[in-house]
Amino acid sequence: MGDGHPEPGTTDNKPEGPLKASYTTEDGVDLTLIRWMLSLTPTERLEVLQQSVRSLARLCNEGCLT
Amino acid sequence: MKVASLDFLALLRTLVEHGVDFIIAGGVAAVLHGAPITTFDLDVVHSRTPGNIEHLLSALQNLEAYYRGQGDRHITPDTSHLASSGHQLLMTRFGPLDLLGTIGADHGYEDLLECTVGFEVSGLHLRVLNLETLIKVKEETGHEKDQAVLPILRSTLREKSKQ
Repeated sequence: MGDGHPEPGTTDNKPEGPLKASYTTEDGVDLTLIRWMLSLTPTERLEVLQQSVRSLARLCNEGCLT
Repeated sequence: MKVASLDFLALLRTLVEHGVDFIIAGGVAAVLHGAPITTFDLDVVHSRTPGNIEHLLSALQNLEAYYRGQGDRHITPDTSHLASSGHQLLMTRFGPLDLLGTIGADHGYEDLLECTVGFEVSGLHLRVLNLETLIKVKEETGHEKDQAVLPILRSTLREKSKQ
Protein backbone atom coordinates (compact mmCIF):
# COMPACT_ATOMS: atom_id res chain seq x y z
CA MET A 1 0.00 0.00 0.00
CA GLY A 2 2.82 2.35 0.85
CA ASP A 3 0.67 4.62 3.03
CA GLY A 4 2.43 3.60 6.21
CA HIS A 5 -0.48 1.43 7.40
CA PRO A 6 -0.02 -2.32 7.72
CA GLU A 7 -2.05 -4.40 5.31
CA PRO A 8 -4.81 -6.52 6.82
CA GLY A 9 -3.57 -9.98 7.67
CA THR A 10 0.07 -9.01 8.02
CA THR A 11 1.98 -9.65 11.22
CA ASP A 12 1.99 -5.89 11.84
CA ASN A 13 -1.64 -6.22 12.88
CA LYS A 14 -0.90 -8.84 15.53
CA PRO A 15 -0.54 -7.69 19.11
CA GLU A 16 2.97 -8.01 20.44
CA GLY A 17 4.88 -7.66 23.67
CA PRO A 18 2.87 -7.03 26.83
CA LEU A 19 -0.44 -6.94 24.94
CA LYS A 20 0.15 -10.35 23.41
CA ALA A 21 1.16 -11.73 26.78
CA SER A 22 -2.32 -11.04 28.15
CA TYR A 23 -3.85 -13.22 25.43
CA THR A 24 -1.81 -16.33 26.12
CA THR A 25 -0.34 -18.06 29.15
CA GLU A 26 3.37 -18.88 29.48
CA ASP A 27 2.70 -22.40 28.23
CA GLY A 28 0.88 -21.08 25.17
CA VAL A 29 -2.75 -21.53 26.20
CA ASP A 30 -5.04 -19.15 24.29
CA LEU A 31 -7.00 -17.24 26.94
CA THR A 32 -9.25 -15.59 24.36
CA LEU A 33 -10.77 -18.99 23.54
CA ILE A 34 -11.26 -19.80 27.22
CA ARG A 35 -12.92 -16.41 27.85
CA TRP A 36 -15.15 -16.91 24.82
CA MET A 37 -16.20 -20.39 26.01
CA LEU A 38 -16.85 -19.09 29.52
CA SER A 39 -19.16 -16.43 28.07
CA LEU A 40 -21.43 -19.20 26.70
CA THR A 41 -24.01 -21.31 28.53
CA PRO A 42 -23.24 -25.03 29.05
CA THR A 43 -25.74 -25.90 26.30
CA GLU A 44 -23.99 -23.51 23.90
CA ARG A 45 -20.58 -24.98 24.84
CA LEU A 46 -21.81 -28.46 23.96
CA GLU A 47 -23.16 -27.13 20.66
CA VAL A 48 -19.75 -25.59 19.90
CA LEU A 49 -18.12 -28.98 20.54
CA GLN A 50 -20.59 -30.81 18.31
CA GLN A 51 -20.21 -28.24 15.55
CA SER A 52 -16.43 -28.46 15.86
CA VAL A 53 -16.40 -32.25 15.55
CA ARG A 54 -18.87 -32.24 12.65
CA SER A 55 -16.95 -29.53 10.88
CA LEU A 56 -13.68 -31.48 11.23
CA ALA A 57 -15.39 -34.66 10.01
CA ARG A 58 -16.76 -32.82 6.98
CA LEU A 59 -13.33 -31.41 6.26
CA CYS A 60 -11.76 -34.88 6.43
CA ASN A 61 -14.46 -36.43 4.24
CA GLU A 62 -14.12 -33.74 1.61
CA GLY A 63 -10.35 -33.97 1.84
CA CYS A 64 -10.52 -37.67 1.08
CA LEU A 65 -12.55 -37.05 -2.07
CA THR A 66 -10.07 -34.66 -3.68
CA MET B 1 -15.68 -49.39 11.68
CA LYS B 2 -18.87 -47.71 10.48
CA VAL B 3 -18.86 -43.95 11.05
CA ALA B 4 -21.62 -43.13 13.49
CA SER B 5 -23.40 -39.81 13.59
CA LEU B 6 -21.74 -38.11 16.55
CA ASP B 7 -24.34 -36.57 18.82
CA PHE B 8 -23.33 -36.10 22.47
CA LEU B 9 -26.67 -34.63 23.42
CA ALA B 10 -28.59 -37.64 22.03
CA LEU B 11 -26.24 -39.99 23.91
CA LEU B 12 -26.80 -38.11 27.15
CA ARG B 13 -30.56 -37.90 26.61
CA THR B 14 -30.76 -41.67 26.10
CA LEU B 15 -28.86 -42.35 29.33
CA VAL B 16 -31.06 -39.91 31.26
CA GLU B 17 -34.30 -41.25 29.76
CA HIS B 18 -33.33 -44.78 30.85
CA GLY B 19 -32.75 -43.61 34.41
CA VAL B 20 -29.00 -44.29 34.38
CA ASP B 21 -27.00 -42.77 37.26
CA PHE B 22 -23.76 -41.43 35.82
CA ILE B 23 -21.18 -38.65 36.05
CA ILE B 24 -19.80 -36.96 32.96
CA ALA B 25 -15.99 -36.95 32.93
CA GLY B 26 -13.31 -36.43 30.28
CA GLY B 27 -13.43 -34.01 27.38
CA VAL B 28 -17.18 -33.35 27.39
CA ALA B 29 -16.98 -32.42 31.09
CA ALA B 30 -14.08 -30.11 30.29
CA VAL B 31 -16.07 -28.42 27.51
CA LEU B 32 -19.13 -28.00 29.75
CA HIS B 33 -16.84 -26.19 32.20
CA GLY B 34 -15.69 -23.90 29.38
CA ALA B 35 -12.41 -25.48 28.26
CA PRO B 36 -11.81 -24.93 24.53
CA ILE B 37 -10.89 -28.50 23.60
CA THR B 38 -12.20 -31.08 21.18
CA THR B 39 -13.09 -34.66 21.95
CA PHE B 40 -14.57 -37.48 19.94
CA ASP B 41 -16.11 -39.59 22.68
CA LEU B 42 -18.32 -39.27 25.74
CA ASP B 43 -16.72 -40.51 28.97
CA VAL B 44 -19.02 -41.34 31.86
CA VAL B 45 -18.45 -42.96 35.25
CA HIS B 46 -21.51 -45.07 35.99
CA SER B 47 -22.95 -46.34 39.25
CA ARG B 48 -22.28 -50.08 39.44
CA THR B 49 -25.25 -51.03 41.60
CA PRO B 50 -27.30 -53.94 40.19
CA GLY B 51 -30.30 -51.68 39.56
CA ASN B 52 -28.29 -49.10 37.65
CA ILE B 53 -26.56 -51.75 35.57
CA GLU B 54 -30.01 -52.94 34.48
CA HIS B 55 -30.91 -49.41 33.41
CA LEU B 56 -27.59 -49.08 31.64
CA LEU B 57 -28.03 -52.34 29.74
CA SER B 58 -31.43 -51.14 28.59
CA ALA B 59 -29.96 -47.81 27.44
CA LEU B 60 -27.10 -49.60 25.64
CA GLN B 61 -29.59 -51.78 23.79
CA ASN B 62 -31.40 -48.65 22.63
CA LEU B 63 -28.05 -47.15 21.58
CA GLU B 64 -27.09 -50.35 19.70
CA ALA B 65 -23.81 -50.31 21.63
CA TYR B 66 -20.96 -52.70 20.91
CA TYR B 67 -17.24 -52.84 21.69
CA ARG B 68 -15.00 -50.73 19.47
CA GLY B 69 -11.96 -52.30 17.81
CA GLN B 70 -13.41 -55.78 17.27
CA GLY B 71 -13.69 -55.60 13.50
CA ASP B 72 -17.02 -56.81 12.18
CA ARG B 73 -17.79 -58.67 15.39
CA HIS B 74 -20.37 -56.69 17.32
CA ILE B 75 -19.70 -57.83 20.88
CA THR B 76 -22.03 -56.26 23.40
CA PRO B 77 -21.23 -55.58 27.06
CA ASP B 78 -22.94 -57.69 29.71
CA THR B 79 -23.64 -57.29 33.42
CA SER B 80 -20.22 -58.55 34.53
CA HIS B 81 -18.44 -56.06 32.25
CA LEU B 82 -20.46 -53.14 33.58
CA ALA B 83 -19.99 -54.25 37.19
CA SER B 84 -16.21 -54.22 36.82
CA SER B 85 -13.91 -51.31 37.57
CA GLY B 86 -12.60 -51.42 33.98
CA HIS B 87 -13.26 -49.19 30.99
CA GLN B 88 -15.77 -50.30 28.36
CA LEU B 89 -14.97 -48.59 25.06
CA LEU B 90 -18.14 -48.74 23.00
CA MET B 91 -19.49 -47.52 19.68
CA THR B 92 -23.14 -46.51 19.58
CA ARG B 93 -25.53 -45.14 16.96
CA PHE B 94 -24.72 -41.67 18.33
CA GLY B 95 -20.94 -42.11 18.45
CA PRO B 96 -18.26 -43.44 20.81
CA LEU B 97 -19.22 -43.92 24.46
CA ASP B 98 -16.71 -44.88 27.15
CA LEU B 99 -18.21 -46.38 30.31
CA LEU B 100 -15.67 -46.07 33.11
CA GLY B 101 -16.03 -48.22 36.24
CA THR B 102 -13.35 -46.16 37.98
CA ILE B 103 -11.04 -43.31 36.96
CA GLY B 104 -7.68 -41.97 38.17
CA ALA B 105 -6.53 -43.64 41.38
CA ASP B 106 -9.51 -46.02 41.50
CA HIS B 107 -12.29 -43.45 42.05
CA GLY B 108 -15.76 -44.87 41.46
CA TYR B 109 -19.17 -43.24 41.06
CA GLU B 110 -19.98 -43.09 44.78
CA ASP B 111 -16.57 -41.56 45.67
CA LEU B 112 -16.89 -38.95 42.96
CA LEU B 113 -20.46 -37.82 43.61
CA GLU B 114 -19.36 -35.16 46.11
CA CYS B 115 -16.93 -33.83 43.49
CA THR B 116 -19.61 -33.05 40.92
CA VAL B 117 -21.66 -30.06 39.88
CA GLY B 118 -25.09 -30.03 38.31
CA PHE B 119 -25.55 -28.66 34.80
CA GLU B 120 -28.81 -28.03 32.97
CA VAL B 121 -28.20 -28.75 29.29
CA SER B 122 -31.11 -28.60 26.84
CA GLY B 123 -33.52 -29.54 29.60
CA LEU B 124 -31.36 -32.41 30.90
CA HIS B 125 -30.13 -32.38 34.48
CA LEU B 126 -26.56 -33.68 34.32
CA ARG B 127 -23.95 -34.49 36.96
CA VAL B 128 -20.53 -33.34 35.80
CA LEU B 129 -17.19 -33.91 37.49
CA ASN B 130 -15.99 -30.56 38.84
CA LEU B 131 -13.02 -28.98 37.13
CA GLU B 132 -10.71 -29.35 40.14
CA THR B 133 -11.32 -33.11 40.28
CA LEU B 134 -11.08 -33.46 36.51
CA ILE B 135 -7.60 -31.94 36.74
CA LYS B 136 -6.67 -34.14 39.73
CA VAL B 137 -7.80 -37.32 37.95
CA LYS B 138 -5.81 -36.44 34.84
CA GLU B 139 -2.75 -35.77 36.99
CA GLU B 140 -3.19 -39.16 38.67
CA THR B 141 -3.61 -40.99 35.38
CA GLY B 142 -0.33 -39.70 34.01
CA HIS B 143 -1.08 -40.56 30.39
CA GLU B 144 0.57 -38.25 27.88
CA LYS B 145 -2.78 -37.43 26.25
CA ASP B 146 -4.11 -36.38 29.67
CA GLN B 147 -0.98 -34.38 30.47
CA ALA B 148 -1.32 -32.52 27.16
CA VAL B 149 -4.68 -31.03 28.05
CA LEU B 150 -3.76 -30.07 31.63
CA PRO B 151 -2.46 -26.55 30.83
CA ILE B 152 -5.81 -25.69 29.19
CA LEU B 153 -7.81 -27.09 32.10
CA ARG B 154 -5.71 -25.24 34.68
CA SER B 155 -6.02 -21.97 32.74
CA THR B 156 -9.79 -22.48 32.46
CA LEU B 157 -10.00 -22.99 36.22
CA ARG B 158 -8.00 -19.79 36.82
CA GLU B 159 -10.18 -17.78 34.42
CA LYS B 160 -13.37 -19.17 36.01
CA SER B 161 -12.18 -18.18 39.45
CA LYS B 162 -11.86 -14.57 38.26
CA GLN B 163 -15.55 -14.43 37.27
